[in-house]
Amino acid sequence: MATQMLEPITEQTYYLNFGPQHPSTHGVLRLFLKLDGEYIVEADPVIGYGHRGHEKMAESHFYEQFLPNSSRMDYLSGLIYNHGYVAAVEKMAGLDVPPRAEYIRVICAELNRISSHLLWFGTFIMDLGGFTPFLYCFDDRENLLDILDRVSGSRLTYSYCRFGGVAKDVDEEFISATRQFIERLRSRWDDYHNLVTKNVIFIHRAKDVGVINRELALRFGCTGPILRGAGVAYDVRKAEPYSVYPDLDFEIPTGTKGDALDRYMVRLQEMEQSLRIIEQALDGLPGGVVKAAVPHKVRPPKGDYYFAVESARGALGFYIVSDGTSYPYRLKARVPSYGNLQVLTDVLPGTLVADTVSILGSIDIVVPEVDR
Amino acid sequence: MGMIKDIMVGGWSLIAGMLVTIRRIYRPVVTVQYPRRQVQMSPSYRGHIELKRFPETGTHHCVACGTCMRFCPTNVIKVQGEKTHTHSEKRANLYFIDFSHCSLCGLCVANCPTRTLEFSDEYEMAHFSRWDGVVDLIHRLEESA
Repeated sequence: MATQMLEPITEQTYYLNFGPQHPSTHGVLRLFLKLDGEYIVEADPVIGYGHRGHEKMAESHFYEQFLPNSSRMDYLSGLIYNHGYVAAVEKMAGLDVPPRAEYIRVICAELNRISSHLLWFGTFIMDLGGFTPFLYCFDDRENLLDILDRVSGSRLTYSYCRFGGVAKDVDEEFISATRQFIERLRSRWDDYHNLVTKNVIFIHRAKDVGVINRELALRFGCTGPILRGAGVAYDVRKAEPYSVYPDLDFEIPTGTKGDALDRYMVRLQEMEQSLRIIEQALDGLPGGVVKAAVPHKVRPPKGDYYFAVESARGALGFYIVSDGTSYPYRLKARVPSYGNLQVLTDVLPGTLVADTVSILGSIDIVVPEVDR
Repeated sequence: MGMIKDIMVGGWSLIAGMLVTIRRIYRPVVTVQYPRRQVQMSPSYRGHIELKRFPETGTHHCVACGTCMRFCPTNVIKVQGEKTHTHSEKRANLYFIDFSHCSLCGLCVANCPTRTLEFSDEYEMAHFSRWDGVVDLIHRLEESA
């Protein structure tokens, strides 16, 4: 009987679908991974599962009707999106906003930024295997959502900003509740640092993992905590100041290396800076009306306009072309997560599958925002 | 030596984290046992819209102008009205909303010329049929009397 020598297979690559139903892909992101053992050879993010056609929808709705859509693109920082869209249309139509409304917008947008970062904090740690911090930060976030619910009437998809102001004035209870929340969150940092930042397991899973350096971040158009984590102090609130941000004193936290730990630290420090902004805005909150008299339907003059704000994930821009009617001819949203997601094609090759979860969590994408 | 130090520092970090959790065990419960205890909605909570009853007339002031209908991004609202006699004001006699399409943006409430719309505080709106989401606001107003 002839014996047949089998060649041992030493090299074999295979494909793995990471998502779209994977719990740690935060929504419906599908990563198509080519693996060599535990190592990733190629990564291809497949997007489009959450496409709802918001940009096309804008063309058949008049400017006011697009308000609820804006907070549904990025459901975690809906108020900032709302603010961005409203400010873009105000710039187009040349509408004035009362100073009190501007202050309220900034306070609420910063509260929204903190709530978004708190949710990211919880889910990021949960992806890495720590369940407890998730419950603690959701406790804080619940407090925050109650405050926003008091003023806007909803907890997630706020349609709070209106052209020329905001929908509802804030009351004394809102102001005192916000001040209490600032005290409360400041007393929680020690717990968070003891629980997570100093934790040896967390450090091992985040340090030197998923390094997105300055060149890579700039090449892919990354913005927000990813770019700042790589050491570039770019923040739309400072670079192209809008609303009342020029009057407020805050810093832009930056990292050095651009690994997952840097991005984590940048977001935690950003929350502290947001607290500072809210505190100053509450102190300087002027009196007066919260909504200026605006036309029934906004009809911006012909032309194309661009307006950018800093969302919780990076630079968000609205590019709107007007043909002089009450319907936008074209609306394009430049969303931060799109650029932040594309960088995965360069970062993931060479890393372990287990680190994918850590990298994806530290990038903090919102898939409906990418797909729109 | 470095390894032993790493183990000591790492081990202490785990204990420090555990201490945070242990301290939390003795704090009061923050969750509400929802179906057994009702939740109080905030004053500006947005449920589906409803017609406001004005004390001076004892009913709504809807003139069926259709502004809410035209402003609604998802065509949730259907309103019809009629005149009781030739020179009278138009009054709404049919006001239906399909709450299953509503995105609670509040444009109808903000643009109502007679300010007769407001948000209700309904929050248990889960239903089995799509027709359960259709609310007759005139009937609802009559029932609430």
